[in-house]
Amino acid sequence: MLECRGLSKRFGDRVAVDGVSLSVGDSECYGLLGPNGAGKTTTISMVCGLLEPDSGTITVGGAPGGSLDAKAAVGYVPQDLALYHDLTARQNLEFFGQLYGLKGPRLAGRIGASLELVGLADRADDKVGTFSGGMKRRANMAAGLLHEPRLLVLDEPTVGVDPQSRNAILETVASLGIAVLYTTHYMEEASKICDRVGIIDGGRIIAEGTGRELVTRHGGADRVRLTMVTDAGDAVAELADAIRRLATVSEVRQEGTTELDLTTDHGAAVLPALVELAAAHGLELSGVEVLAPDLETVFLTLTGKALRD
Amino acid sequence: MIRVVAANELRRRLRDRSMLITCIVAPLALASILGFAFAGGTSGAPVRIGVAGASPALIAQASRADQLPRQVHLERVATAAALVRAVDGGRLTAGVIVTHAAARLGLSRLLVPILAPGTSHLPGFKVKYPSTSLVGGEWADSVAAAIASRLYAARLVGGPARHPSTTAALDVTTDPLGSAGKGVLNYFAPSIAVIFLFIGGGLGLRSLLLERSGGTLVRMAAAPVRPNRIVAGKLVAILVTGLVSVFVVWGVTATVFGADWGAPAGVVLMSLGSTVAMCGLGVFLTSLAKDEQAALGVALLVGLLLSLLGGNLLPAGALPPLLQKLSLITPNGWALVGFGRLALLHEGTGQIVDPFLVLCAISVVTTGLALTRVRRMVRP
Repeated sequence: MLECRGLSKRFGDRVAVDGVSLSVGDSECYGLLGPNGAGKTTTISMVCGLLEPDSGTITVGGAPGGSLDAKAAVGYVPQDLALYHDLTARQNLEFFGQLYGLKGPRLAGRIGASLELVGLADRADDKVGTFSGGMKRRANMAAGLLHEPRLLVLDEPTVGVDPQSRNAILETVASLGIAVLYTTHYMEEASKICDRVGIIDGGRIIAEGTGRELVTRHGGADRVRLTMVTDAGDAVAELADAIRRLATVSEVRQEGTTELDLTTDHGAAVLPALVELAAAHGLELSGVEVLAPDLETVFLTLTGKALRD
Repeated sequence: MIRVVAANELRRRLRDRSMLITCIVAPLALASILGFAFAGGTSGAPVRIGVAGASPALIAQASRADQLPRQVHLERVATAAALVRAVDGGRLTAGVIVTHAAARLGLSRLLVPILAPGTSHLPGFKVKYPSTSLVGGEWADSVAAAIASRLYAARLVGGPARHPSTTAALDVTTDPLGSAGKGVLNYFAPSIAVIFLFIGGGLGLRSLLLERSGGTLVRMAAAPVRPNRIVAGKLVAILVTGLVSVFVVWGVTATVFGADWGAPAGVVLMSLGSTVAMCGLGVFLTSLAKDEQAALGVALLVGLLLSLLGGNLLPAGALPPLLQKLSLITPNGWALVGFGRLALLHEGTGQIVDPFLVLCAISVVTTGLALTRVRRMVRP
């Protein structure tokens, strides 16, 4: 549905996007994950025809990016609330629907369906200015879905949204079954709804794949934290030595006389052996925590900084 | 698609009270104030005013310009001495003597009796009335002002400085509707409407800046609509709003206060030319502002400057010669030339072709510049 090849965009001396290539399948949800200023919004602005790339090519459903055909295929949900606050939700959708060539009964039907989809059917005739922040976000999304786009582009649609509306938005996106390009700096969102994720930093996509592939490739090993019930003195050091002898454990760090922090390829698999060893050393565990690597860990590994930096 | 964009813009403007106030209520309020100030009621007592030193045609024109009520009768008197005798003898209620000096008066001096009848003692005009007939004196002042306005109007539009006693005869009829000062109202009503066109254009562009900062412009730009059509839709809305404001002021001042803007076809033509030129200039100048707050300041400040320069607040004829020439570099200055010919000279539509063409030329430039600026806001 979407093919981007070697996209670059420069603003003065600053390179915002540097050779980005990505593709999104017909019913695939592709997440563009990166911190603020990574180049996500610039990339999707080019996809939506709002910016012309300095170099590179875009095709949307076979049409050149920025063409009227490409724009007609795209539903854009901008980060800002792009709605008229002095008009009702229905009036807003009427106007934006008309821009996409909808009219008459089809327009009315699509307005009803879109508002239903985002849970705002009962507020259709209320002014958008009276909506809560989450409701405005959902109305913003309804405007993007109005013309039944083949590619939905969402630019950080959950920023500043309450948990309830956030879940509603994520569930809606997950249920669409169309191509979706979703930008976020929330790792959990990308993990939850995206079939594939591209990690973008400094205007370049530095890794791409399914969440599991990225974690396997770049996330590193599991970490397991063992906490003793009481101060165990030398017994903890002895337990640490015993754990080091396990083949699946690569590193063990003792923190004081009550905690051990170890690195292993598969945290869940090694747990029974750890519990047995603790019992054999006369130690009672008050806590066992397995920290599996995630996209946050992947980003940290790849860039040396956190997503929210 | 232009219609869709324009209709949405107009719908939002109808809800925007500040726009309604600026484009309709404010010009209407000012026009109403002028109406009350210059188009007051009349007495029913019969009044005979004599005029000496003016041709029958000029007297007829003055009578029409002043829209004298039915009970006031003008009468040509052969000489100044005969007029004085008739007033002293009680045959005439009052009289106006137009001397040869009137033909040589500068525009600014001619303006004085027009704007403030009865307060001047210019060498060109003498008003004679008994101290017991104040009403007659007022009407005589008004007739003097009307004669001065005929001479002023002829000069304003670049016509030859006609001698008051040799003005060619014209087939005119008087229309006893109003009272003294109508000429002033006829001048200032379109004058105010024209300057509010500029402010309206500026505020229209401010609305676009608000859309840009609010994000709706981006959503429009993402739709399968050519950027030029979005821009055109916005400009059409601005022009329609401007045109409506002119027509509202025209309608109210004409129906409520009896103002005469002149030939309706000419007024429509001048309104169209003025609206495109003024709104285009307003949009262009305001587009240079960084944000909507600055845009508001630009619209108001430049509007004030243009109105002073073009003659909307103080008629160009009252300004020094240099400023009189400068008034013709402004679109509102040319608009007033056209409206002045229609309202003050009662000339037909054919006589406003040149100011209309000048406004069209200005429109091409100002709307071209405005389109270029606004297109940048919409295009990638």
